Amino acid sequence: MIEGTHFVFSAFVILGSIIIGVLLATRNGKLHPKIRRIPALDSIEEAVGRATEMGRPVHYSPGYGEITTSTAPQTFASFDVLNHVVALTARYNTQLIVTCKSPQSFPIIQELVREAYLVAGKPDMFREDTVRFISEAQFAWAAGVLGIFTREQVAANIMLGYFMAESLLFAEGGAQVGAIQVAGTGNLAQTAFFVAACDYTLIGEELYAGGAYLSQDASKVGNLAGQDIVKMLTIAFIVLGTLLATAESDWLLELIKK
Amino acid sequence: MKRSVPLLIVFVIGTFLLASYFFDFTLPGTSITLKQGASTVNNWGVIITAFAVGLASINLLRIHGAKIINQRSGWINSAILILTMFVFIIVGIYSRSNPDNEAAARLFSNLFNYAYSPFSATMYSMIAFYVASASYRAFRMRSLEATLLLSAAVLVMLGNAPIAEQVWAQFPVIGKWLLTVINTTGQRGIAIGVAIGGFATSLRILLGFDRGHLGQGD
Repeated sequence: MIEGTHFVFSAFVILGSIIIGVLLATRNGKLHPKIRRIPALDSIEEAVGRATEMGRPVHYSPGYGEITTSTAPQTFASFDVLNHVVALTARYNTQLIVTCKSPQSFPIIQELVREAYLVAGKPDMFREDTVRFISEAQFAWAAGVLGIFTREQVAANIMLGYFMAESLLFAEGGAQVGAIQVAGTGNLAQTAFFVAACDYTLIGEELYAGGAYLSQDASKVGNLAGQDIVKMLTIAFIVLGTLLATAESDWLLELIKK
Repeated sequence: MKRSVPLLIVFVIGTFLLASYFFDFTLPGTSITLKQGASTVNNWGVIITAFAVGLASINLLRIHGAKIINQRSGWINSAILILTMFVFIIVGIYSRSNPDNEAAARLFSNLFNYAYSPFSATMYSMIAFYVASASYRAFRMRSLEATLLLSAAVLVMLGNAPIAEQVWAQFPVIGKWLLTVINTTGQRGIAIGVAIGGFATSLRILLGFDRGHLGQGD
């Protein structure tokens, strides 16, 4: 084993086992975790409904993230919510526009949306321009999306995933065309922009709860419950570390370095 | 089959790359180490991404091509987009294939530095104006939360304005305390939650419990 990775490996095995254990217990019906109300996720149906009433499209952005980097979990979490948004737009017969920055995730999103319309019994609602690749360059993508907001007068703007500097450009662009906006990102620097400019914001880990909350799928709900137990253990670990540091003991610090 | 093959690929490649973070040994029957193998797999990712760019560009061409052919509103913008895309592609490939041709290299560099970069910087600079308009809406005292947000923002701004220190020496102290204690505490709490959420989601995808990204059909 590579020097300096013993602690990380042990933590990975222990915490991973807890998450998978809770996930399997929930899937087998031995545990029944409940998810608290998340207003931002409830508001998605309201946003799609409003777009339907106004006869204008819904815009969805999975963000800046890729599917092969550290931002991948946020992109995949966004895909879960996108499935729900496609089902809603199919139910209400509302036009959906999905804009992509990542060429890697583009074919996945295209297939995901096409199949979700097929499952909803509305395959005709998937058009060539439903999922649009704009550009891999950050600000060219931002300019393209702002152009779509203005030309197509979107009534709802849903932005979930990893976002960077374009977050405020999108959020303010959406506000200027009067769109109801739901946003969420795991990038802390951008969360403040979303809170300031959007109607509803998912803060931090709430983004990962989207799929579980909207689908109530046992695996996803169990995964979320396992995540909470790991969070409690992490908090206990931080408290222990604080106490040991106060007592001038570096035992825990040395353990982590192993 | 449509789902099990991608799930198997994700599991095998994901476990291989994960193992390379913790272990390093010579792979049985080969002369390469686990880390070298992982590096090769990462290079495959770059090649696949290149193909993905091609697929995405076809989508761009089809959407904007249809707009030009049907002369729909704003078709001239689509024409400029496609023209620009081809100019960049042709000049880029030509200058890379002919490294001795200085004129081509200069043209590509000029296109990037004097066309793309200023446009990109313009978009970025718009954020400054958007910060002002977003702040105006967020800071209107419509609720207790908005009032707290406004109060904190005013104190932090006063803490950073030299004139405020002349009015009351404690403004910088309060501003710094808000940023380093209150703000950092909250941010770290959220960061830990995001990291654990990312770990749990990755594990679910790696082990094939999450299939949402593979579509809903059979």
